Amino acid sequence: MSGPEPGLGVDASEEARAGRSEMLRNNVPYIAIVLVVLLFTIVSGDRFLSVRNWTFIAQQTPVLLLLAYAQLIVVTTGSIDISVGSSLGFSMYMAVLGMVWLGPAGIVCGILAATLIGFVNGSIFSLLKISSFVTTLAMLIIVRALLNIISDGGSIYVTEQAATGTYVDSVAAPWLLALGRFPNILIFALVVTALMWVFYEKTLFGQQLKALGGSERVLSLFGVSVTWFKIQVFVAAGFMVGLASLISLGRSGAGTPRAGEQFELDAIAAVALGGTPLTGGHGSVLRTVVGALTLTVVANGLTIAGVDPSWSRVARGVLLIIAIAISLNRRRIGVVK
Amino acid sequence: MSENGGALLQVEEVSKSFGGVQALRSGSFELSRGEIIAIVGANGAGKSTLIKIVAGVFRPDSGRMLVRGEPVAPRDHNVGHMRHLGIEVVYQDLAIVPNMNAPYNLFLGRIPKRFGIFVDEHAMRRKTRAILEDLKVTTVQSLREPISAMSGGQQQSVAIGRAIAWGREIVILDEPTAALGPTETGEVERLMHEIRDRGTAVILISHNLEQVFRLADRILVVHHGLTTPAFPRSGVTSEQLVRAITLGEQVA
Repeated sequence: MSGPEPGLGVDASEEARAGRSEMLRNNVPYIAIVLVVLLFTIVSGDRFLSVRNWTFIAQQTPVLLLLAYAQLIVVTTGSIDISVGSSLGFSMYMAVLGMVWLGPAGIVCGILAATLIGFVNGSIFSLLKISSFVTTLAMLIIVRALLNIISDGGSIYVTEQAATGTYVDSVAAPWLLALGRFPNILIFALVVTALMWVFYEKTLFGQQLKALGGSERVLSLFGVSVTWFKIQVFVAAGFMVGLASLISLGRSGAGTPRAGEQFELDAIAAVALGGTPLTGGHGSVLRTVVGALTLTVVANGLTIAGVDPSWSRVARGVLLIIAIAISLNRRRIGVVK
Repeated sequence: MSENGGALLQVEEVSKSFGGVQALRSGSFELSRGEIIAIVGANGAGKSTLIKIVAGVFRPDSGRMLVRGEPVAPRDHNVGHMRHLGIEVVYQDLAIVPNMNAPYNLFLGRIPKRFGIFVDEHAMRRKTRAILEDLKVTTVQSLREPISAMSGGQQQSVAIGRAIAWGREIVILDEPTAALGPTETGEVERLMHEIRDRGTAVILISHNLEQVFRLADRILVVHHGLTTPAFPRSGVTSEQLVRAITLGEQVA
């Protein structure tokens, strides 16, 4: 209808290029997982493809997946939450401590703790207008420190039967340990995935996440209460971390002061590997599943291939950079500092 | 109603400053149903501030605003309330969310819901089609694609359609045709007549004086943050208007 206009302006070639890069972004996750599986099949063959190994992967992925969902919620708005690892560890400990105090129902303390951390994150970020990176970096440190203070460096174990000795802090919750095993943990993750998909794709909240990532200024021009919504975004992400803490506790069987360390990086990597641009505005639940799976498979495959764990971390760091490089929407970035 | 002579909107000596800079010293005007008023003035004269007060984006530091004779309470002076009263704006940069589709942009801030939380996409698409058809915009291909995939003219149609669909009382257009070619400009002007004819008042901000003379019933000049009394288009020459804009001279 009309040519390029100031403020709207994308010319045809730029649009075509954007279309191509979007195609690439959308398909890279699937290509990546296929390549990774092929690679490790060639390197390790049967040991990698065994039912036992894939059962292990199916147990390993869900915690990361739920953390990635928390990250996806935040990243879609163009923000980031690097406190999810600390928050996970803290919530696991609060869940097990809650069960010591209140019995099985006390496990909700974990979800409450994570949701509260999300609320604090969101409030600092939205009301004080401190960038989400700085806010959640501070919370990463603070929450971990609080966990050390509360736990006094000790762990609380989840056991099959009530412990008889008194020198070990523990709580009997066989149902929680059962939740942490295959196939229950996978079923739990699939149910959360279905709910997450509905939440992300079909609700007003989910749509608003993408719109906020698109243009915060326009939303406020049209009377959307952006300040309150941004707090809610972090609360929703916190709640998801809380769900992750439950299955993580079931799987590891202990609330420890170091649980969840560096998980924030894996969560970000999973989202980026899922082709979601960290610049916000777009995202996909299903591709985030693929991203989380890719990351788990890489770690697993490298271990089976006998690669030293430190080198395995190097490989995953490189993977993170590659994933972000592909998923960034550079049209939206003026200056990188 | 009758006591204020049927004025739809009364703006009385509103002012606004930002951190010591007085963007608008005193703005006053009235607007009746089915009227097109043009607001003209040099860059930085305070036009934008004035319409953003009317739109509820800014709350005035002093003065007051009445809609249908009812004063707007300071605590209600926000975008949500003004939209509720039927006041809508087409911003110069269109104010669209580029990564969202046309229906979302049309329903921005008023998304229809099912069961309280789900987006009623079906209803949105249906109403979007009806609105665009109403505007005789037939070139829009897909309502599912992000709006950034549409042409500039189509994006403009959506932005105007949004204002017309919800602006029962007043539609404010901020430089609506500055970036358009002659055909689209004619189209936008046709739409302005159409909404005026249904009884909606139109506030037009334009630097194009020819357009102002062609469309406006009355003209309001803003000079250095002050409004001069609005005058009918017929009683003024373009030379007088230019002097009013540049020098702040009163038009008799």
